[in-house]
Amino acid sequence: MKVKKILFYLLIGSIFLYCLFPFAWTLQTALKPAEEVFRLPVSYFPETVSLQNLGDVFTRRPFGRYVLNSLIAGGAATVLTVWAASILAFRLRAMDLRRAMRIQRWFLAGAILPPALLVIPVFIVMKQLALVNNYLSLILSYTALNLPFALWMLHAAFRKLPRELDEAAVLDGFSSSAILYRIILPLSRPSLAVTAVLVFIFCWNEFILSLTLMPSQAMYTVPVGIALLSGASVYEIPWGEINAAVALTTIPIILVIAALQRWIIEGLTSGAVKG
Amino acid sequence: MREPVAGISGIRTRGDLSMKTLILGSIILLFIPFLPLSANAQQFLRMVGPEDVGGAWGEVISRFHAQHPDIKVDYISGPWSTDERQNMYIRSFLGGDAFELVYMDVAWTAKFAAQGWLLPLDKWFPPEKREAFLPADIEAGFYGDHFYRVPVRTDVGVLYYRKDLMPYPPRTWEEFEAVCRQYADPPGRYCIVFQGMQYEGLVCNYLEYLWGAGGSPLDRDQNVLLDKAENVSALSFMKKVIDAGWAPRSVITFQEQQTLEFFEQGKALMMRNWPYAWTVLSRSPLERKVGIVPFIHQTGKEPAGTLGGWGLGMARTAKSPEAAWRFIEFASSSEAQKILHFRRGAVPTRRSLFQDEEILKESPHYRDLYEVLLKARPRPVHAEYPRISSILQKHVSAVLVGIESPRDAALRMDQSIEGVLKGKRRSWPGRLFLDYDLQKTLLNTLIFTAVSVPFEFLLGLVFALLINLPFRGRSLGRLAMLVPWALPTAVMAMAWQWMFNNPFGVVNDLLVRIGLLREPLDWLSTPEGAMFCAAFADVWKTTPFVTIILLAGLQTIPGALRESLTIDSAGKIAMFFHLYLPLLMPFIRVAFIFRIIHAAGIFDLMWVLTKGGPADTTRTLSLYIYDLAFRYDEVGYGLFLTGLFMICLILVSLLIVRLTTLQYERI
Repeated sequence: MKVKKILFYLLIGSIFLYCLFPFAWTLQTALKPAEEVFRLPVSYFPETVSLQNLGDVFTRRPFGRYVLNSLIAGGAATVLTVWAASILAFRLRAMDLRRAMRIQRWFLAGAILPPALLVIPVFIVMKQLALVNNYLSLILSYTALNLPFALWMLHAAFRKLPRELDEAAVLDGFSSSAILYRIILPLSRPSLAVTAVLVFIFCWNEFILSLTLMPSQAMYTVPVGIALLSGASVYEIPWGEINAAVALTTIPIILVIAALQRWIIEGLTSGAVKG
Repeated sequence: MREPVAGISGIRTRGDLSMKTLILGSIILLFIPFLPLSANAQQFLRMVGPEDVGGAWGEVISRFHAQHPDIKVDYISGPWSTDERQNMYIRSFLGGDAFELVYMDVAWTAKFAAQGWLLPLDKWFPPEKREAFLPADIEAGFYGDHFYRVPVRTDVGVLYYRKDLMPYPPRTWEEFEAVCRQYADPPGRYCIVFQGMQYEGLVCNYLEYLWGAGGSPLDRDQNVLLDKAENVSALSFMKKVIDAGWAPRSVITFQEQQTLEFFEQGKALMMRNWPYAWTVLSRSPLERKVGIVPFIHQTGKEPAGTLGGWGLGMARTAKSPEAAWRFIEFASSSEAQKILHFRRGAVPTRRSLFQDEEILKESPHYRDLYEVLLKARPRPVHAEYPRISSILQKHVSAVLVGIESPRDAALRMDQSIEGVLKGKRRSWPGRLFLDYDLQKTLLNTLIFTAVSVPFEFLLGLVFALLINLPFRGRSLGRLAMLVPWALPTAVMAMAWQWMFNNPFGVVNDLLVRIGLLREPLDWLSTPEGAMFCAAFADVWKTTPFVTIILLAGLQTIPGALRESLTIDSAGKIAMFFHLYLPLLMPFIRVAFIFRIIHAAGIFDLMWVLTKGGPADTTRTLSLYIYDLAFRYDEVGYGLFLTGLFMICLILVSLLIVRLTTLQYERI
């Protein structure tokens, strides 16, 4: 029994390590001073902790600008997505379950395509609309990409609210938009938060569309900026700075995930139960 | 007061209101483009170059500003990689907001001009002005009958040799072999280092061998000549240089900088590099110990150096061509070229500067260099050059790595380039069979999917079963599991690249410490290694996705059933297969379809981690299609392939549904 338990925890521990190791390694590299990054043998704990790399990312590179771009594109897309999805989900909720599910499934079928297949048509459209290098191009395409997911999450959440609420509200003279904005949305606040956070993370992480739709350097989002980060020469790839940038990009995500962990798992799995 | 309409139907009709706002809102959003942020655009010029080390461009621009206060030039520091900067320009042309000043490599001119992106400069740059420049540089500025690019700095491949260690530099391949046998002593001192990584520089190296063997990639009428014996002997000789140990095996990962460092440390007798290396060497212990000569050639043939160098052109869409020309004229003047020379070691393109006393005093080697420059040859001037180059890179690299024999490589180069040049004239479906890249990338995609998806499922299932058990610290475990899923793929690909780095990466270090590896592996530069890294990173990243879906599935299993699968219950394996698996089937199906589609469409990870290399062994279909649309400007064919790919994915998904449903019903 004891042995089994120890084995079990060893297994769990190794999964834990496996999942977190790349992130931890990035963090420890980011904290090393430049000389230590390129020193052999590799040191597992930085001997001297230096914030040099973290600072350099902002002073020597326009990383702050990339962050701003990501925040603008991701933030606006998130607001738009959640707003549109809640209206759609509210409509789906009013239908009978089977019909709603059928509609929802069509939405999801559209969302399953990898973005790499969508990038050429999306680029052509955005170019014709003269939106290349414009935040709007990312905002619109991110909204379209994430709408099905948000709809799926919010629909599951809205369904949990009893129908009687609406009937009572109607009797009180509420219009349907008032029901949505003043009853349904406030009651589903946790689900809205989880949906918004996840949609924002998806936007924050997106790569291929932003690589293509935002070709000028001042418009790079964080992942593109990091992927194209390079040094003064080919050999001197600035690994210290790259790791610092990676750490700065990922830490907020991990913090948010940690804070909302329970609700995220719940939201994702309960949505799936219905789908 | 009227009675409010009762019941759900009332909600429906009013629900339409918010629906309408939604539709209206989206339409309005679509039609309000952001206000154009153009302030004083007429006088504003932008150019993209590498990081301005030494501040040379800063000085050129500030002097220009002093003379022309009405024009503002903005120097954008692009990535160091030439290919990357070219992509920046291409994306800016395609995006409709082109950088006005096009600071381009010799090899880009034909393609940019053929696309109609550049404005011809004939009007401002008549023949009498051209005579002041080196002939090869002027030749490379032409596409068709028009002139597009004024040379600012030139470059040519040269052979550096150690005067103190060898009595005379080799001129022919035979002399080279003799010198290597006599004076080299690997691994302490190799005979030669060159640039062997799969990138544009490899083509420059290879062409010098090919020209030195009397060959040439294309003739005047654009016929491909690569199946000829000259090509085979050039490739065989390159391979021999590595196989005989004259060059270290690691040259297959070398670009210019690594080559230079290797040579600077005295670990090689000779080095193929560009003239910039001289400046570095003259400040090193090797000062005065190094000479410059043209590259080696086969006996009876002519030596040749690949012409490199940079020049300025202007985008056709530039709003004020006159202002742009003012800058181009200034940047190619003697004054500016001297600044670029002294601050940055740029070799001038004006002949007179090779007799300039100030310059010769600082760079006496320019006398020798001038001779090499007169023998310089441009790479094939062809609108399809980028594709020709990437085919050459791939096969030369394959020969050096040892995946292809010189003869096979020569034939495949020839076929692929023929295929590209001919395929352009064929209909899209007809092209499918000529398309060597398509076959290769399709195979890579299949391999990648077949390797990564099963592992993700196996691990994902194990994770889900474990995490679903009640234990202390469960929420911590769940958090750890969510982390890879939530982190950006492209960003983490950078982290993996660092972890697989040789020799500073942690993976090598760990494996050596444990004793699994005797010496660090160059993971990302061997075909198997790179594919393994990509699959490993992908499994790490997406296993949590599978776990989450399966967790959702496990939660639908009634509690009574779930309780029976405690750690101690007997026959749990049988139970797993007979009770759990069938109940999980719908969830497995969804996750499986999703994973297959996304693994087949993988882009971010490969683009950042391996860029498809080495020798295209990790280039997947999505990378190829992306290149078609955004590097080779074949949007139509790219879309056609996208459509086919999509249809295939849908068919595969339907097949999976079919197969898994049957199995599910049978049980």
